[in-house]
Amino acid sequence: MSTTTETRRGAERPAGHLRIGTAVALPVRRRSVVVGVVGVVVLLAAAVATLSLGRLGIALPDLPRSLFGGAEGADRFVLKRLRGPRLGVAAGAGAAFGLSGALFQSVTRNPLGSPDVIGLTAGAGAGASAAALLLPDLLPVPVGALLGTVLAMALVYVSTGTGFRNPGRLVVAGIGVAAIATAFTQYVVYAVERDNATSLMTYINGSLATRTWGEAATIAAVLVVVGPLVALLARRLRLCEMGDELAAGLGAEPQRTKGAAVALSMALSAGSVAVAGPIAFISLTAPQIAKRLTRGSGPHLTLAAVLGAVLLVLADLTAQQLPLFDDLPVGIYTMAIGGAYLGYLLIREWRKGIL
Amino acid sequence: MTTTTRTRPGSAATLRGATARRLLVLAAGFALLLLSVAGSLMFGSNSTSLGDVVDVLTGDAGTYVTTVVESRYPRTVLGVLAGVCLAVAGTLMQGVTRNPLADPGLLGINAGASASVVAATAFLGATGRTDTMWWALPGALLAGLLVYALGSAGGSTGTSLVRLVLAGAVLTAVLTAFIQAVTLSKPQVFDSYRYWVVGSLAGRGFDVFFSVLPFALLGLVIAVLLAPGLNALALGDESATSLGSNPTVLRAGGLLAATLLSAAATAAVGPIAFVGLAVPHIVRACVGVDFRMQVAFSAVAGPGLLLLADVVGRVVLRPQELMVGVVTAFIGAPALLYAVRRMKGTA
Repeated sequence: MSTTTETRRGAERPAGHLRIGTAVALPVRRRSVVVGVVGVVVLLAAAVATLSLGRLGIALPDLPRSLFGGAEGADRFVLKRLRGPRLGVAAGAGAAFGLSGALFQSVTRNPLGSPDVIGLTAGAGAGASAAALLLPDLLPVPVGALLGTVLAMALVYVSTGTGFRNPGRLVVAGIGVAAIATAFTQYVVYAVERDNATSLMTYINGSLATRTWGEAATIAAVLVVVGPLVALLARRLRLCEMGDELAAGLGAEPQRTKGAAVALSMALSAGSVAVAGPIAFISLTAPQIAKRLTRGSGPHLTLAAVLGAVLLVLADLTAQQLPLFDDLPVGIYTMAIGGAYLGYLLIREWRKGIL
Repeated sequence: MTTTTRTRPGSAATLRGATARRLLVLAAGFALLLLSVAGSLMFGSNSTSLGDVVDVLTGDAGTYVTTVVESRYPRTVLGVLAGVCLAVAGTLMQGVTRNPLADPGLLGINAGASASVVAATAFLGATGRTDTMWWALPGALLAGLLVYALGSAGGSTGTSLVRLVLAGAVLTAVLTAFIQAVTLSKPQVFDSYRYWVVGSLAGRGFDVFFSVLPFALLGLVIAVLLAPGLNALALGDESATSLGSNPTVLRAGGLLAATLLSAAATAAVGPIAFVGLAVPHIVRACVGVDFRMQVAFSAVAGPGLLLLADVVGRVVLRPQELMVGVVTAFIGAPALLYAVRRMKGTA
């Protein structure tokens, strides 16, 4: 008896079931669940650290009371104005970046086919800065970011000549598109903001300083609208990773599924850039880390979102508390660390003979 | 009838035709250069007419106009020098690596040079103009070696076209983060470097020009000496060897010259990308693949293009100006997209 359960457990390790009553049974992998739970715990810990560390931090014993409406004086100001919205935007934008990266990497079936590597994030940044600075009353920033993303993607798609199939071309075209987009952003910022170097760095690198609850609400709305659509798409997307013919045979309609995934990915990317700026390499790294930690196949959408939030909140915590530099834009930290990670990824891909 | 008019390749008629074409292109190149030099002297926050410029050059103008135009001499001269350096460096790198995507900006060499200058300025207190050059050089060299090592890290499959560019992008990302972190956290140290960090011809004097000139000249001499060998190298390592060239020496010499030129350009005007990419592509389309021609024509077209970009940058946001590095990205990045489209195979 015990032996049979042993073997069955061994065989079932990849997919157990999460049962809710008798009607619902969601296939889950134990390792994924563990990683997800650990991710959420780390996220909460990082959030607490964000609120309580530093000179203006809310002391730990006061934190629960402050969170549930009892904040007073300086604590109230820190929570409601300074760190609360910043934390909300960091978590929301991080999750959206991570999810966006997971979708795009799943479509291109390559870690390098990620919105920040192929210039979409930079395009969104250009669109956002144009909307915020050139047409402040006409165009909402998220719409501008979305237009920029769409334009950047069209440009990348056309310049590769082979669509999204060839990762090498995709990335090089992305470098070109990112250069154009960044140059455009610089132009806009110099045209409107004149000589403001800090403002320029914020628009180019992305920053979480001086965020408002309005921006936190924007990214929350994007996640609430796009999240369920992604969930609907998840099954088909998993099938698509098995190859187009097989997916088509199983009724997953690969072309339409991929088109929908790209559209959702762009919406998420644009949403997060609109509230936090073109922060580099969260969408590259979060899905890859999810893949490494779970050692499984498939897009790992939920985990990518959780880990994206963890990464951005941790990066922002570093940006706020690292004594070495004085409150740099968080995008500079993610660019340094993400760039190094991208280098590691490249070498690994080359060892495998890909690219 | 038809046989007599048809010219065979290599016949005297086609050679004469090719020479005429080259002369025409050369004339066009010099015209562009002259035009952009004139534009560089004319346009700025204070506009002056071409007549004023001529008057100043012949010494007939009033003090005010003379001061205005003369204040534009250094940046014009620097623009010419940097344009020559970047374009020839790009030509050399594309020849040596046989990679149409090579460019000192894209391969991270300019970023390496400027990171090294920024580090020396922030932590070692290097401030002099000549110091800049001496710090740019090791940074450029190190970055070049690193990108080459990273690009060939895969081993047996060799260095593909895309790998070097990706390695360059990675290095540029990390170094840019470093540069921005340092310059943002020490604003008072970098007040005079703020525009240099993005690539700008403004606010630098003749002293900068003279401090980088020897390195630029050395690089150019090496480039001219190597050009015939690069033609042989273009046929492949084995053919080059049987033609009496040493591929290893050619490669090392070419990369050394390219590094010297990129470091000189970066020390003078900051990290400017895409000039070294776009100019050789344009030149090849006009005069063909002979490297002796490519080097010569790049040296004429490069400064023309860079100065033109600078003039555009001065005009679009008057009385502010847009840094030349921003304008070249606008003009040059489409050249990268074009090159990607033309790439053959799966590389």
